[in-house]
Amino acid sequence: MRDNFTQAGGKFLRALSRHSDLIMQAYLSGTVDEGAYSAQVLDNLQNLGILWRPDPESDLRLRRVVRALLEEGLSDERNRQVDANIGGALKKVTTLVAHYKEACDKHRFAEAGAHLADLTELTYAMIDSLKQGVRALWARIHKEFGYVASIDAKIRENQLAQSQVSEMLAQLELFEFDKLAQLAGGNRDLRRLLVVTMQSNFSSITQELSLAQSRLTELLGRFREFQGKTRLLKGFVLHLEQQPDYQPAAYAKHSLVPELFNLADNIIKPASVDVNNPEHELDLSQIVGRLKAIYHLKSQPAASATQAIQVESMAEVELDENLVKQEVEAYFCQIIDSGERQSALEYHQCAQLEFDKEVWLYQVIGEYDALPDSEKSFFEIEKSLKDHPVFNGNKIIEDVELWFS
Amino acid sequence: MISQKGLVLERLLSGEFICRVSYEDGFRFLQDSQNAAQIEAQLNLLNRTLSTAVEGEVYFAGYLALADKERKVLERQFKEITSNLLPLTEWLLLVQESSGKDIPLTQGSAIRLNELQTTIEDTPALAEQLAKISAYPLFNSTSKTADGQIKQVFKRLTELGYLQKPNPEKLIYIATGKLDYIYEVIRFIDETESLSLTEQAEAAMQQGSLL
Repeated sequence: MRDNFTQAGGKFLRALSRHSDLIMQAYLSGTVDEGAYSAQVLDNLQNLGILWRPDPESDLRLRRVVRALLEEGLSDERNRQVDANIGGALKKVTTLVAHYKEACDKHRFAEAGAHLADLTELTYAMIDSLKQGVRALWARIHKEFGYVASIDAKIRENQLAQSQVSEMLAQLELFEFDKLAQLAGGNRDLRRLLVVTMQSNFSSITQELSLAQSRLTELLGRFREFQGKTRLLKGFVLHLEQQPDYQPAAYAKHSLVPELFNLADNIIKPASVDVNNPEHELDLSQIVGRLKAIYHLKSQPAASATQAIQVESMAEVELDENLVKQEVEAYFCQIIDSGERQSALEYHQCAQLEFDKEVWLYQVIGEYDALPDSEKSFFEIEKSLKDHPVFNGNKIIEDVELWFS
Repeated sequence: MISQKGLVLERLLSGEFICRVSYEDGFRFLQDSQNAAQIEAQLNLLNRTLSTAVEGEVYFAGYLALADKERKVLERQFKEITSNLLPLTEWLLLVQESSGKDIPLTQGSAIRLNELQTTIEDTPALAEQLAKISAYPLFNSTSKTADGQIKQVFKRLTELGYLQKPNPEKLIYIATGKLDYIYEVIRFIDETESLSLTEQAEAAMQQGSLL
């Protein structure tokens, strides 16, 4: 008996796999293209209960069970079937429980075991179909009925889903757990199946359904809002087409301007550049660096026009520099003349020079170093140094002495 | 560093609308009633007040007291808004029809310019509509091609704050709360003047389906 079943099942599944392209084509297009397949294959599939012909004139179609299997396996959103015949299933449960109890009473345990297996299958199938229904609903909600284009169609789909939810909830009300508990009585297996399993699944399904219901209502509200907005826009355009000279009332002139039209003017203008802010220096220089030079704006004759003025100011600067230089030269000359060792600061004092002492010393050292080697050898220089109080190794030049060698 | 409050204040005083899309941090900041009160106090100094529209989804600055000077500004703004209503409405309908989804654009809706452009270019009726819309003074496009027209329209809408372009390298635009403000303006006019626009549209659609 069991071998027989296994064989038949294997044959059925092999037929499914061997003709998978035919079945998928039928699944997608709805009917079988009979010209493309041999009559023998089609007969065979009809005998196996995979295909059927609803009436003699119509095309071959897939059987509902096969289609449902594919929809489930592919989680196809076209699956809008919600099977919720709980009342019938519950009657079957009572019947099977009665069979099982009778078999137990008469000590026919093998028979009782078979009934219990049937009962388990039936209970789980019932739970599974309920859960499947909830899953399908949620799948549609998550996609926001994306498989239909217009908002009107979405609203209709939503209404269908809502009616399915209410139906499922009505079916779930048929569960009477006190009766099921009574039915199970003291039997441990029955109790586990009919009370514990059913109840826990029942509560989770009811919860999900009520969530789905509220979500559907919310979605419906949104769709209606979309619909309202579109109609508002279309109505406005239509209104203007019919009355091209239409002008809305001047709400801004009313004594009490509606909040919607009370829009303040903008009063902030971009701030100006502050070139004296050292924090901005880097940014500003980067901005300047990015500026592109505009060559065609440079006028050629401008350069020659300014030339005359430039010369004078240059001469003045040179004169200033020369003053120190001349004094240093005079200092050198005095050393040559006197042939004695003389400190630079002493000369600064004697000649009553006005330069800063540091500038003076710096210039003296500079002038000495600037002498050509042949002249340099006539002089000897000695710097009187002092260690810097804080920085190690740094020396401070306090004075310079020069003499003629 | 300038504080969140300063940034929000700057935007409001520049006449910008603050919504979730255009400036999310500022929007969240204003949702806190304490922060909103602080901003309100600062705005009051300048004869302005914090206003909201579209059920609290959009913030902007309005005048606190109205004298002649303010009224003049309001009249100018109102004229601007009402003259922009038709081009904007037609554009909204064009995008909605081209997207084929039948969902009106609202805050947060994304528009892929390339897809939109392909659809419009492939459909002569839509291309004609685009040409009409882009010629309005609001968009002021002089281009003869759909490509130039649609780019000009989107550029203007982004400048005016109706759209946001989150990634400068991608041609994806996000609608801001200012678009919802347009719906609200139309709804307000509809209700106040009892134009029954929705009913007109419904009647027209039914007639159309009968034909």
